[in-house]
Amino acid sequence: MADSSIFWLRVAAFLYAVGLLHSLLSILRKAHGFYGIALGAFRVGVVLHGVAIIELARTEGRLPVENFYGTISLCAFLFALVFLFVDWRYRFASTSVALFPLIFLMTLVAGMERPVAAWPDMRVRDAWLIVHIILVLAGYAALLLTAVSSVFYLIQERRLKRKSNQTLLEKLPPLGTLDELISSSMGFGFVLITLGVIFGLLWAFIELGTKWVGNPSITLSLLTWALCLAMIFMRASAGWRGRKAAVMALVVLSSGALTWIAHTGLRPTLLP
Amino acid sequence: MKLLITGLSHHTAPVEVRERLAFAEQTLPEALDRLRHRPGMVEGMILSTCNRVEVAVTAEEQGDPEKSIQEFLEESSRLEPGWVSPYLYHYNGSNAIRHVFRVAASLDSMVVGEPQILGQLKSAYAVAKQQGALNGFLDLVMTRAFNVAKRVRTETEIGSSAVSISYAAVELARDIFGSLAGKRVLLVGAGKMAESAARHLRRAGVSDIAVTNRTRSRADALAEEFRGRVVDYEEFFHALPDVDIVIASSGAPHYIINSEQMRGVINRRRNRPMFLIDIAVPRNIEPDVNKLEGVFLYDIDDLDRVVKTNIEGRRNVAEQAEEIITEEVERMMLRLKTREVTPTIVSLQEQLELLRTGEIERVRGKLGPLTPQQQEAIEALTRGIINKIAHEPIAEMRRRANDPEGIQLIHTIRKLFRLGEG
Repeated sequence: MADSSIFWLRVAAFLYAVGLLHSLLSILRKAHGFYGIALGAFRVGVVLHGVAIIELARTEGRLPVENFYGTISLCAFLFALVFLFVDWRYRFASTSVALFPLIFLMTLVAGMERPVAAWPDMRVRDAWLIVHIILVLAGYAALLLTAVSSVFYLIQERRLKRKSNQTLLEKLPPLGTLDELISSSMGFGFVLITLGVIFGLLWAFIELGTKWVGNPSITLSLLTWALCLAMIFMRASAGWRGRKAAVMALVVLSSGALTWIAHTGLRPTLLP
Repeated sequence: MKLLITGLSHHTAPVEVRERLAFAEQTLPEALDRLRHRPGMVEGMILSTCNRVEVAVTAEEQGDPEKSIQEFLEESSRLEPGWVSPYLYHYNGSNAIRHVFRVAASLDSMVVGEPQILGQLKSAYAVAKQQGALNGFLDLVMTRAFNVAKRVRTETEIGSSAVSISYAAVELARDIFGSLAGKRVLLVGAGKMAESAARHLRRAGVSDIAVTNRTRSRADALAEEFRGRVVDYEEFFHALPDVDIVIASSGAPHYIINSEQMRGVINRRRNRPMFLIDIAVPRNIEPDVNKLEGVFLYDIDDLDRVVKTNIEGRRNVAEQAEEIITEEVERMMLRLKTREVTPTIVSLQEQLELLRTGEIERVRGKLGPLTPQQQEAIEALTRGIINKIAHEPIAEMRRRANDPEGIQLIHTIRKLFRLGEG
């Protein structure tokens, strides 16, 4: 990838990060009035992203879809264009909750084709990795709470549907409380895991260049993140509650558990 | 001094009798004054609610306080002498304490566990206290009764379940939504029970009540009562996605809300839960609506089943509460006896000392001049005698402080040594 192309792509990723921040704040219900700024930054990001792709296509003399980075960059660009069209035509802004993070992460990965720097200090390198692990584990803990609350929601919902007065079940919190807990824990879980993934990818990028691409464990962790994103999206847009939400939360949690197991002993296999 | 409670309640008297005996709130101070000034009365308190009229007093041992209270009740209500006696009950001593504790803990209420009685008892206590009619034994018992009621509520689940249809609806709404603050209610139809449920919901924090009814004027009146708004009956379906709770009680002879319509409503609500209460007969809402995810439909029979289960549950809990009451009565009796034992011992010692010094004084002149040693010997001799006399009664009182019959011994000793009332 050409130097100028990768520069514009990284600037685009930076601007998409504003959209990511908006999504995270929306999930935590603290993004009041921030959408306009995020959308503005996103639009500029899309323009620069387009510039990066044209620049690369001009340099290589063909559409840059022959390697992983080029493909993911183009894919992210197309997603961004589709989002802008849907937002303009249908005012369907709620998709931004899912698409801003997805496009940001895809562009971030696309911009990692060429290593940028080495670690300034080995202590920073280790601390960075610890932060990544803590964020991801805290995210999993929040998702565990989401899954448990979802199951309780399901039980309480069944009790109320069946109109049964089982004393033990009566002690469960009200559906409204469980719903609040699910929303909060899911939101925090997603924010923590997203930050954890970003930290992890940046660490891998600086540490390993492109060696990590295609590693099944890392692919699994990205899949977990994508499932978590899908769960958030279905909750925010379609209002998934009850059985669907419980199943989804359990799937995300299981995927998280598998990711954790898959990451046991990952570092020695990646490092020379 | 003895504690006595005389009164009647829903257990012993029909409402026609209870209402004749009831004291209006504004007449209580004057009635308390009359009660206290009756012969032999020391303290007094009057509890008058729609379900009971009770007079609690502490009175001197002499006389017939039971009869005196009956006369007081008959005079207060201008009834013929003896008219009220078939409906009255009398409790004294530990039975009176048990009764007060049971009343405060709502174990004697028509709806066991209802919370109002404790408030009513506290009001009656406050009026009596203000009138200076409580200042000793009865005061102590009442104060303890409030603590016992609190303990029963804390340690059992006596008041945790709803026992009326409208309150059951509120409890279910809480199970669904948690806090009801900010929730919106739509009354479809304007039946009495729907009105009552809406009133409970308003008290529980519901922010917005809308009313729809075929007869517009009735809807207007209800909306005004709840400071709510009116929705056109023909248009009410469009309002459904914005409301969280629907109370249907219209006189329509068919379903006015069906499953298919509700599917659309819940989709527009993005699956946010909705509570439908159908208290109409014939029913207003198709039962299959309950199969939709996020919709909870309860009809009148469902609510009735909840209430019956809760009442049954309260009966079971009441047994635990009775055990607490028994324990508290025993503790109270022990405390009262301990309160009586110490002053009795002190009085006995003072009385004997008075006798001793009196007798020495009386014979002092006949003994002629005494040396200090002789004076000391006489002091020691007489003190030894009274100590020996007092030893057994004091030891026995202390031994039997925990014995339920010990109070009788204290009274006997007081009488024998003319110690007067403590």
